[in-house]
Amino acid sequence: MAFLDINSVTKTFGPVQVLEDVNLSIERGEFVVFVGPSGCGKSTLLRMISGLEEVTAGTIAIEGEVLNDVEPAQRGAAMVFQSYALYPHMTTAQNMSFGLRMARKAKSFIRARIDEAAGILRLEALLDRRPGQLSGGQKQRVAIGRAIVREPRVFLFDEPLSNLDAELRVRMRAELMDLHRRLGTTMIYVTHDQVEAMTLADKMVVMHAGKVQQAGRPLTLYDDPDNRFVAGFVGSPTMNFIPAKVAGADASTVRLSAIGGTAEGALAFAGFDSAVATVEIGVRPEHMRVLADGESTDAPVVLDADVVLVEELGDVTYVHLHLPDGTRLIARAERGLDSHEGRMRVVPDMKRALLFGPDGARLRPAAWTAAA
Amino acid sequence: MSVAEIAPALPRRRKVRVWTVLRWMLAFFIALIAILPVWWMVNVVFSNPGEPVSINPRLYPTSFQDGIDKIYMIFTETDYLHAYLISLLYALFTIAGVLLFGSMAAFEFALFDFPARRILFAIIMLSLMVPAAVTIIPTYLLTAQLGWLNTMQGLVVPGLASAFGFFLLVQFMRSIPRDMIEAARLDGASHFQIYWHVVLPLSRNALITLAILTFMQTWGNYMWPLIVAPSPHMYTVGQVVGLFNSPYSHQTVDVVMTANLLAAVPPLIFFLIFQRRIVEGIAMSGTKG
Repeated sequence: MAFLDINSVTKTFGPVQVLEDVNLSIERGEFVVFVGPSGCGKSTLLRMISGLEEVTAGTIAIEGEVLNDVEPAQRGAAMVFQSYALYPHMTTAQNMSFGLRMARKAKSFIRARIDEAAGILRLEALLDRRPGQLSGGQKQRVAIGRAIVREPRVFLFDEPLSNLDAELRVRMRAELMDLHRRLGTTMIYVTHDQVEAMTLADKMVVMHAGKVQQAGRPLTLYDDPDNRFVAGFVGSPTMNFIPAKVAGADASTVRLSAIGGTAEGALAFAGFDSAVATVEIGVRPEHMRVLADGESTDAPVVLDADVVLVEELGDVTYVHLHLPDGTRLIARAERGLDSHEGRMRVVPDMKRALLFGPDGARLRPAAWTAAA
Repeated sequence: MSVAEIAPALPRRRKVRVWTVLRWMLAFFIALIAILPVWWMVNVVFSNPGEPVSINPRLYPTSFQDGIDKIYMIFTETDYLHAYLISLLYALFTIAGVLLFGSMAAFEFALFDFPARRILFAIIMLSLMVPAAVTIIPTYLLTAQLGWLNTMQGLVVPGLASAFGFFLLVQFMRSIPRDMIEAARLDGASHFQIYWHVVLPLSRNALITLAILTFMQTWGNYMWPLIVAPSPHMYTVGQVVGLFNSPYSHQTVDVVMTANLLAAVPPLIFFLIFQRRIVEGIAMSGTKG
C-alpha cells in the first residue's frame, strides 16, 4: 500500500469522459508532477484528490483511508491555486490563518503557526499587507504559506507558477524544491510545462486524453518512453519521428526502407514482429549529427534534407530540416554551422533510436523487454 | 531637437463643434428642469410668506429666519418628527432585510448550481416586469389576514424580497472567482462561513449601493404605507406630506412647501454623500434604480 493510492478512477461531466481508469501510487514525501496538454484531465485529477470534484468511479485513498466521501477540509490536503485565490479583504496573516480560525484554534497556536510559516517563506515583513499590495511572487508565497500553516498530509499545486514571468518562475521553482526538501511532505503538482515537470519531479506522470500515459522518474520517461505521445511530449525541442517501411527482419535486426521518403538502413532489434509493416523512428535532436560538406560516413542511415531554418541560441544551434516526404526534423548542431541554407546531410544515431508502431505504442526489442 | 520636430507631438486644440454646443445646451436645460422645483421650494420656504408668488415674485430666498420659524412650527405643532422616526425605521428595517435575504439568495444563485436554478432565476426576473399596481391588492389582503395592518412588520416585510436587489447582487457575485470559494472550502469554511467571511466582505460595494438605492426607494414610497398603515400613529413622512398637500388642507403654500422640503432633505443629503456610488450602482445593475 502506497501513501496515496488512486485506483481505477474515472470522471465524467455529463456525457463527457474526462478521466478514464486512472491508476497511480504515490509514496510518502514524493514530489509528483502531473503533466500533459490542456484538457488532458490533470487538473481534474488534482481536484478529485482535493475533494473539490467528486469521483465518478474508483477510489482515492490516503494512508489506506478511502477519501471519496470525505469533505475537502478533512482530507489533510492543502491546495495552491493558479490564481492564488487569496482573500483580497484580508491581510497576509489573516489569509494564512483563515483555515485555522475556521477550525477554532487558539490564538496563540495560530500565531505560532503563522510565524513559523512566515519564517520559512520570508513573509515576516508582509504579514500586515493585503494581497493588492503584494507582487505576483509574494502572492504566490502567501498562497503557499496558507497551505503550510495547515500542516497538510499532501500539498496540491494547480499550475501555481503560470501567472509569473519567466525569471520569477525559475526562482520560485527553486524555492519550491527547497521547500519540499525542508518539509519532506508529499507534493502533487500540475503543470503543462514539461521543463517545469522535469526539474521538479521525483515522479512525473504524463497524461493525455484522460489517461495516464506513463509515470516514472523524469529521465526514465525521457530515455525510455512507453509510447509516441510521451516521447514527443517530454524533451524540448521535441523528439523527431521519421516514418519508415519495414523491408524485412531477422532475429537481431530490422531492415527499413523509405526512411523519410528515400533512405534505407538497418537497426539492431531482437525479435521484431514481422506483422508490423510501417514504423516511426524516434530520434532526439541531440542524437542527430549534421555532416559537414563533403564529409564521408559509414553510418547505416544518412538522410538528405532541406534546411528550413537555423536557430542559433548561443550555446546550441538547432537546424530545422525537411525530409523528401515532408517530415520535419530538428537536429542539434555545433555553433558556426556553415550550411545555413540549401541541403544538408544528417545522420541519426540508430543505436539510440526508438521504434514506434502505427498505433503509437513503443516497439521494444524482445531481449530488452525480458531484461526490463 | 528643434521646435518644429516637437510641434506635431503637442496636443491639438480641440475644435468646438456645433454638436458639442447643442449637447451642452441640452444637458443644461435638463439640469435646470430638475433643479428648478427644488430651488423654488427652498425659495418659498426661506422667504416672507407670499412674497415669491406675489405680483413682484422673487427667484431667491429673502428671509432665512422665516424659513427657520416655519420648520420649528412644523416640528413642534405636528407629528412630523414621529413620522420621521417611522420612515427612518421603515427604511432601516427594509435595508437590513433586503441586504440579508438578497445577499443570501444571490450567493446561492451566483456561485452554486442546484436543480431548477435557471428557471427560478427567470421567475424572479419576471417579477421585475410585473407592475406594482398588479400585486398591491393581493399583498394587501395577505398582510391584512396576517393582522399586520398599521404595524411596522406590515410596512416592512412585503418589501424584503427585492427582485431588483437580488439581481444586482447576483450580477456582482458572479464576478467573484470560483477559486476563492473553493479555497475557503479547503480551508474548512462551512457554507454559511463562506457566505459570511468571504462573499459578503467581497460584495461590500454592491451591498452599499443596494442599501442606498433601497433607502431612496423606501423613503419615497408613498402608496404602500398609505394602504397598509392608514392610522396616524404609523404615518410616514410621505403620508404627512400628503396631508399637508390634500385638497382640504388649511395650510398656506409656504407651510406646505416647508413640509415638502423637510421630506426631501434626507434623500438629498444621502444623494450628495453617496452620489458616486449611486451612479456606479445603477451602471452596475444596468437598470433604473
